[in-house]
Amino acid sequence: MIQIVTPANAQRFRDEMEQVWRLRHAVFVEEKRWTDLARPDGREIDQFDTPHAIHFLALEAGRVIGYSRLLPTTRPHLLSDVLPQLCEGELPRGHDTWEWTRQAVARSHRGRGKAINPVSLALLSGIVEWGLASGVRRLVLQMPTLYLLHVVQLHFRAHPLGLPQAISGEDIIATTAEFDERTLARLRRLTGRSGSVLAPDYPYLAA
Amino acid sequence: MTRKALDQTLGFLRSLDRTASVDDVARLLVTELAAFGVAHAMAGTVPGKGTPARQQQSHILVNTFPSEWGRRYLTRGYAFHDPTVRHLSETKVPFAWSDLRSRIGDDSEARRVMDEAGEFRLRDGVTIPLMTLEGGTAGFSLSGEHLAIDPDDRPMLHLIATYAFGHLLRLRGEGSLPRTIRLAPREREALQWAAEGKTDWEIGEVMGISTHGVDFHLRSARTKLGTTNRTQAVAVALRRGLIL
Repeated sequence: MIQIVTPANAQRFRDEMEQVWRLRHAVFVEEKRWTDLARPDGREIDQFDTPHAIHFLALEAGRVIGYSRLLPTTRPHLLSDVLPQLCEGELPRGHDTWEWTRQAVARSHRGRGKAINPVSLALLSGIVEWGLASGVRRLVLQMPTLYLLHVVQLHFRAHPLGLPQAISGEDIIATTAEFDERTLARLRRLTGRSGSVLAPDYPYLAA
Repeated sequence: MTRKALDQTLGFLRSLDRTASVDDVARLLVTELAAFGVAHAMAGTVPGKGTPARQQQSHILVNTFPSEWGRRYLTRGYAFHDPTVRHLSETKVPFAWSDLRSRIGDDSEARRVMDEAGEFRLRDGVTIPLMTLEGGTAGFSLSGEHLAIDPDDRPMLHLIATYAFGHLLRLRGEGSLPRTIRLAPREREALQWAAEGKTDWEIGEVMGISTHGVDFHLRSARTKLGTTNRTQAVAVALRRGLIL
């Protein structure tokens, strides 16, 4: 199940958000060695974790097993402030365009093979469901170029914003990824779910 | 300089959208990349070791190689010795065939594949490693008698190959690409018990894990099998001989 957390319901998910900061620290600092993000308290929180961020939590029996963050492109975000070199033209901005960052799955739930894991697919389904219900139609992504084929195979219309560049040892590309009902149908076929992955009481985006 | 490369890539993607067949895509690639000396394109997923020639054929999405070379490649099982194919699982970035020559060492089989390719005017090439959603290792090779590809051109080729591969998969219909499906031991065990009609709770009892754990393994198996529910997962796994 995917739980969306925003300031509207953050009070009820304080414990889960604590788990989020720790999962992010475990995945991005300890595992991926993005040492700039290291925090002595083991909670990875950055300048973009403002009340404008939307948190997507994959929950299993109260435990956070996966996470993604969406940032509005109408405010400072990673592509505008941290990795602008990945975008050669104008930055994609707008109320219908959100940046997807900090995709993480707990090590215990990754499976062993190379195939995309069910938790990642569920998070992405949650994001697309939320987007379709909220007037959002495209994401901004920064990812290893190797994952671009996944995005294309999931029936997103991915548009490169620049050529791949080497960033801390990885070949990274920025793209926009437009989605629609077909994307959701494709995700549902892959996850084997017919209904929503979102927790029933999720807060819609106002505006 | 990179802006020009990006514009060229975007132009290619627009043309790609208008192609309606594998031949169209092959023609577009060879035309668009002729300035680099590219005369042939081949792309596909890597078959598991020992896959018979006929099944290997179905792993190929596009192939403009001279037909005699293509036949020889398949019937002699060159895919299992080809150093470019082997290197696919070791790298994430595009590589030139010439980079591999020094690494072959005294592997005579690998050397033979490269030398014979040269006899068919496929002396030079660049291979772009790809990974499918299903976890399959895949590759896109662009080759010719002599390529004029600068290392700086490789990011553009990476993008072109990725989009072309995605488009070829769509043209074929995603479902029909044969995949090497490997179930993890616990996924196979859970699915085997499911085939015996056991409930998640019962499976958890025999495997000594929680019901959640069972759900997780079965869900993961369903994803790998590309199926929508338990019944279909069991049926597909039986058909493919993954469970008994």
